[in-house]
Amino acid sequence: MRKIIYLAVITVSAFILVQSCKKSAGSDDNGTGDKGSSFDRKAMLTNMSTNMIIPAYTAYQATTVTLDAAVTAFNAAPDLAKLSTLQNAFQAAYKQWQSTSIYDFGPAGDVGLRVNTNTYPTDVNQINANVNSGTYNPLLLANLSAKGLPALDYLLFGTGADNTAVLAQYTSDSKAANRKTYLASLTAEMKTNASTVLNAWNGAYKNTFINATGTDVGSSTGQLINQIVYDYETLKNYQVGVPAGVQSMGNTFPQKVEAYYSKISAQLVLLHLQALQNVYLGKDGSGLDDYLVQANAKYNGGSLNDAIKNQFTVAIAKVQTLTDPLSAQITSNPAAVTAVYTELQKLTVLLKTDMTSSLGILITYGDNDGD
Amino acid sequence: MGATVMEQSYSRFNKQTHIAPLAVLRIAFGSIMLVSTIRFLLKGWVYAFYIKPKFHFTFYGFDWIKPLGAFGMYTLFALLIIAAILIIVGLFYRIASITFFLCFTYVELIDKTTYLNHYYFISVMAFLMIWVPAQRYFSLDVVRKPQLLVTQVPLWTTGIFKFQLVLVYFFAGISKLTYDWLIAAIPLKIWLPANSQLPIIGGLLTQQWPAYLFSWAGMLFDLLIGFLLLSRKTRKPAYLLVIIFHLATGLFFKIGMFPYIMICVTVIFFPPETHIRIIDFLRRVLFRSTNSTLKTEAVYQLSAYKPKLVFTVLIIHFAIQILLPLRYLLYPGNLYWTEEGYRFSWRVMLMEKGGTAFFHVKDPATGKQTEIINSAYLTGFQERQMATQPDMILQYAHFLAQEYFQKGIKNPIVTADSYVTLNGSGSRLYIDNTVNLAKEQETFAHKKWILPFKQTE
Repeated sequence: MRKIIYLAVITVSAFILVQSCKKSAGSDDNGTGDKGSSFDRKAMLTNMSTNMIIPAYTAYQATTVTLDAAVTAFNAAPDLAKLSTLQNAFQAAYKQWQSTSIYDFGPAGDVGLRVNTNTYPTDVNQINANVNSGTYNPLLLANLSAKGLPALDYLLFGTGADNTAVLAQYTSDSKAANRKTYLASLTAEMKTNASTVLNAWNGAYKNTFINATGTDVGSSTGQLINQIVYDYETLKNYQVGVPAGVQSMGNTFPQKVEAYYSKISAQLVLLHLQALQNVYLGKDGSGLDDYLVQANAKYNGGSLNDAIKNQFTVAIAKVQTLTDPLSAQITSNPAAVTAVYTELQKLTVLLKTDMTSSLGILITYGDNDGD
Repeated sequence: MGATVMEQSYSRFNKQTHIAPLAVLRIAFGSIMLVSTIRFLLKGWVYAFYIKPKFHFTFYGFDWIKPLGAFGMYTLFALLIIAAILIIVGLFYRIASITFFLCFTYVELIDKTTYLNHYYFISVMAFLMIWVPAQRYFSLDVVRKPQLLVTQVPLWTTGIFKFQLVLVYFFAGISKLTYDWLIAAIPLKIWLPANSQLPIIGGLLTQQWPAYLFSWAGMLFDLLIGFLLLSRKTRKPAYLLVIIFHLATGLFFKIGMFPYIMICVTVIFFPPETHIRIIDFLRRVLFRSTNSTLKTEAVYQLSAYKPKLVFTVLIIHFAIQILLPLRYLLYPGNLYWTEEGYRFSWRVMLMEKGGTAFFHVKDPATGKQTEIINSAYLTGFQERQMATQPDMILQYAHFLAQEYFQKGIKNPIVTADSYVTLNGSGSRLYIDNTVNLAKEQETFAHKKWILPFKQTE
């Protein structure tokens, strides 16, 4: 017995000598300053819900109400002025959506707000089939790409070469009545979904959110961060990468951009990226930036928060070089769009890998034990 | 002299002891396996890990292990449940323990994405269970065939489990003797504050000192607990420590059944009298029987040919157990970074590592290149595991080369931009993104295309 212990002690000492020499970076400069006070996740969640999430849903719900009312007015007596009003209401909703899509958990997750609102590219054949048959089942999986903002984008901008031609689809066309009904079902559905989510947040869910202060997958911080990363990746991939041909051997798909028919794609990318930056910063209150500072997160010797803030600035500057119609830019100068994608890619790594790893938050859309 | 030492240890090995610890271990192991398997099913993991994925990361040399489809996989899990129940009650024990070991190990070999040290531990335990006569006491096999009953077994039958457990803890302890773990208290400095919402202790976890306390306590626990459990004097407090330590880690980290498995199997360290009392207790509770343990003495004898076979198998097993965790010494570079020689070494919860990998496939004929949407081929879980493990990156690259070859591209060039952060280092390029991975072969040799881990860039 004694021999075993001696042997163990000798082995252990040898290993300490050998292994203590090796170290990983980041570990050596973590001792700076005693971070006695903890990061208050509850305060961050309170700030997020009060100053970002609920205002986003409130504003978005309001745009869907306006949009639905504009459809009602237009359907009652379609003319060019009302079409224009409706188109403006649509664009306002699409712009507000860019700062609303991020929070697809809790009530929004329950109604599938993101996929029901913004699945694109829209399926023109499916839309036309629905219009022709005069039937529309919102629960049908195939109708995911025949509803929401992308479907309206087509119906309000893509059904004719100009507004006069579009208007004709709602007046003289043989399926005009069906088309109006379809329009009305789509905006009504959007309004219902937006209201359901907003009501939940104004009701009990806000407290649920604020009080789930853990960091596991089901916690609010976990869900928020997972959704920020996910939403950011949809921006990078679907608003920019896929249409620019990054994932298809350089074959571009200009028609796959978001808001292809209304031609506001580049504006939307910028709004979306700025919205994500805003969430990261928690606007002026407690956000993920403060959380990373508190955790003393490092990035190659410097502060991770600085690296992320900097990359947001760089990426936003790059996105500002995109021009509308984005589809035209992709056709004429795909390299410029790919360059934007490359800059966006760098931010993916910082958010998805560095941020989550520094905070001990598991990025997962699945589930498993660790060991 | 050599001969006498051999003889001494051989006779000590064969010294007789009561069989009760084996019977208790059989029941404990079977029960915890039954619970684990049912839990695995209820979580929907059979589907998520073995049916849904289109591609699996097989182990080197085990490419022939394939998932069996939905029906096959659920059958496999049904077999595991039946085998676990048979192990508990000790019915058709040999077949049941062999079935359990084979089915469990098969499942684990399908995809290294799900590799966990504690699954490996279960395979090892299940393997050892095959070689001992754990069914020959307090079992249905004995009811079925009373002549099977024995009360005395050679010491080695329980000794192998104790030795295995000492190895597991000791190697886990040695692996904690690093600068990061002891001096920088990382990754616990990252992980503990993430638990600050816990009542009472939550506030403490955001301070620096608990990370140091838990790092050092964890290291000392792992290094010493095996020996403390072996020694009669320290056994009881040591077992209390086992319970406290494992429950605490279970509270802080998402490690599933592992704490309960360890708490169950370490019971083997207690002397036969304790186990006899446990069995008497079970008899009273289950059968309202006041019969104490049978007084008959029946000695377990391996038939003539068997000792050689069993001892050969066990000697090979333990030689592997001792050498495997040390194989990392043969590889250059930072072990946590390269993960060459990392698995099967009881390196548990040692690092905070995360990564994102972007793969590109290039057609050498046209020069055109494409980025891969990983989610088209991998589940989120697979993608996350793959991004930080070079052998998985290589396997996936080979899969992509095959995929694009079938799409009509001759000799596709596959490269990977993988960014990995280790213990809060900040992400940096992990593997050489100019290397055509389609041309690299998997071997046990060092992978030269893993970029060295530098302190700062």
